[in-house]
Amino acid sequence: MRFGGLSALNNVSIAIPRGEIRAVIGPNGAGKSTFFNCITGVLSPTGGRILFDGDDITGLPPHRISQKAIARSYQITNILPRATVLENVRIAVQSRHHSWSLLRHHRAYRDVIDRARSVLGSVGLADKATELAANLSHGEQRNLEIGIALATEPKLLCLDEPTAGMSVPETHATVELIRRIGANLTILIVEHDMEVVMGLARTITVLHYGEVLAEGSPGDIQANARVQEVYLKT
Amino acid sequence: MSTVAPPPMTSMRALDSRATAERPSRAYWAGFVVVVAALAVAPLVLPPFWQRFVTEILIWGLLAMSADILIGYTGMVSFGHSAFFGLGLYGAAAALLWAPGPGWLASVWGVTPKLWAAMAAGLVAAALVAVFVAFFSTRLRDIYFAISTLVFSQIFYVIIFTWTDVTGGENGLTFRQPPFEIPGLLAVRFSGDGIHWFVLAVVVTSYLLLRRVTQSPFGMVLQSIRENEPRTRAIGYHVERYKIVAVMLSGLFAGLAGVLYALQNKFAAPDFVLFLISGETVIFTVMGGMGTLVGPVAGAAFFLLMKEVFSRIFYEYYLIPVGLIFTLMVIFVPQGLLGFARRALNR
Repeated sequence: MRFGGLSALNNVSIAIPRGEIRAVIGPNGAGKSTFFNCITGVLSPTGGRILFDGDDITGLPPHRISQKAIARSYQITNILPRATVLENVRIAVQSRHHSWSLLRHHRAYRDVIDRARSVLGSVGLADKATELAANLSHGEQRNLEIGIALATEPKLLCLDEPTAGMSVPETHATVELIRRIGANLTILIVEHDMEVVMGLARTITVLHYGEVLAEGSPGDIQANARVQEVYLKT
Repeated sequence: MSTVAPPPMTSMRALDSRATAERPSRAYWAGFVVVVAALAVAPLVLPPFWQRFVTEILIWGLLAMSADILIGYTGMVSFGHSAFFGLGLYGAAAALLWAPGPGWLASVWGVTPKLWAAMAAGLVAAALVAVFVAFFSTRLRDIYFAISTLVFSQIFYVIIFTWTDVTGGENGLTFRQPPFEIPGLLAVRFSGDGIHWFVLAVVVTSYLLLRRVTQSPFGMVLQSIRENEPRTRAIGYHVERYKIVAVMLSGLFAGLAGVLYALQNKFAAPDFVLFLISGETVIFTVMGGMGTLVGPVAGAAFFLLMKEVFSRIFYEYYLIPVGLIFTLMVIFVPQGLLGFARRALNR
């Protein structure tokens, strides 16, 4: 991926096995966000290919990526602030069911609402269903963000710094949440903070200046001298 | 990395799916019945001038209501609704002037249903323009969408203004009012009251239909686009496609308003395709309350009544107080006349 004369990602080849929780980490400017945006369709790579489940998804627009069962959360909370928590998730569930129905009330589709409620339960927001999303705490909004992504029934869930701006206990709870939902799907976490992913990911890929610096188990990465050097320098 | 938390917005609940909001309240339906009943008896008690005035308010109200689908529910401001209205008007006019004589459809229904032919022609004409505008304009966003709708409507204005042979150019077209017909059953001339009731029936039916559409899964997607377009895209919605359908739906009902205007006034003029009409449509919608459907009708009533009253007091200077009041309202009542009832109206 190039921006004008700048190569933001170069020769990055990453394979994620089904069912794995994978973390991509790296210091600022390593190309993590560019990598994330290429996978989720926000950016169209200038070279290379992205395969998912055997399909070539390189350069597909975001809604097509979503329909391929790849969901994403945002680094900066991106929800419908003036809608209820339930509606935020319900509209995401609806993207897979009855979204072109024009003449029936949306509340007539109990299946959509029931699924939305069960998603809220799984991200721990069941009792906040009728709150306005804008009135949730920052940590709750981050979890709602994950709930919206889950509601689209993904096979691959891409999380962009899911614990950004969270307090220590909130971070802890979110890490537990990710571990729990990771039992049923593949998760890709892009993270700045190495500590967050240490106990979570099976494999960690370290990016540096747009290239893969190291890849291995959390233990290997922690012991890797070059990774330590890069992280200590920044 | 950190997020700026938006301020609490309890009063701005935009998409409501609380369990307690399951059904529209009794008060809503009571209000609905009272307003419709009042509008139904209006021609019986009002002098002829005000009777026509109320009928026109309903027609302009329907035009503004159609614009509300875009402005209030999808978050797209159209400055081109005069094109849809105008094509509905001219489409109906064409059908009333040149529809084949009795021999053609008579073999099918026994009579020539001129009224319904006019409605169909107006709707088809408006729909064709809507497809055209929807296809090109929805690729653009915000001010660029607004400008492109304005440009398209002016293109149609110029075509109608200059194609004198067909459209009558500056002079427009005059035609006779068709009788009210139910093919095979009856055909009666419209009385003044009759056309009012016909307009009222069409507007109320349109309102109930549009209200249902805004509450449907499709309508919820439109509101989600209004609230957060990139997010709506990221959860798998092909946003452009929803916008295209929204513009077509809106254009169709704007065209219907044009047809009603043709039926009531028996003439079509290029002034009704001019951008001034589009501007007034936006003003009705904003004044009455975006995202409420009935607000725009109230806005049309308020604005037209204000113009009427001030033009009797201040003569040619009447637009000065109208402009002042509009400015004050935008500052002090930005939600519009019925904005306070938005939640109740959308249940």
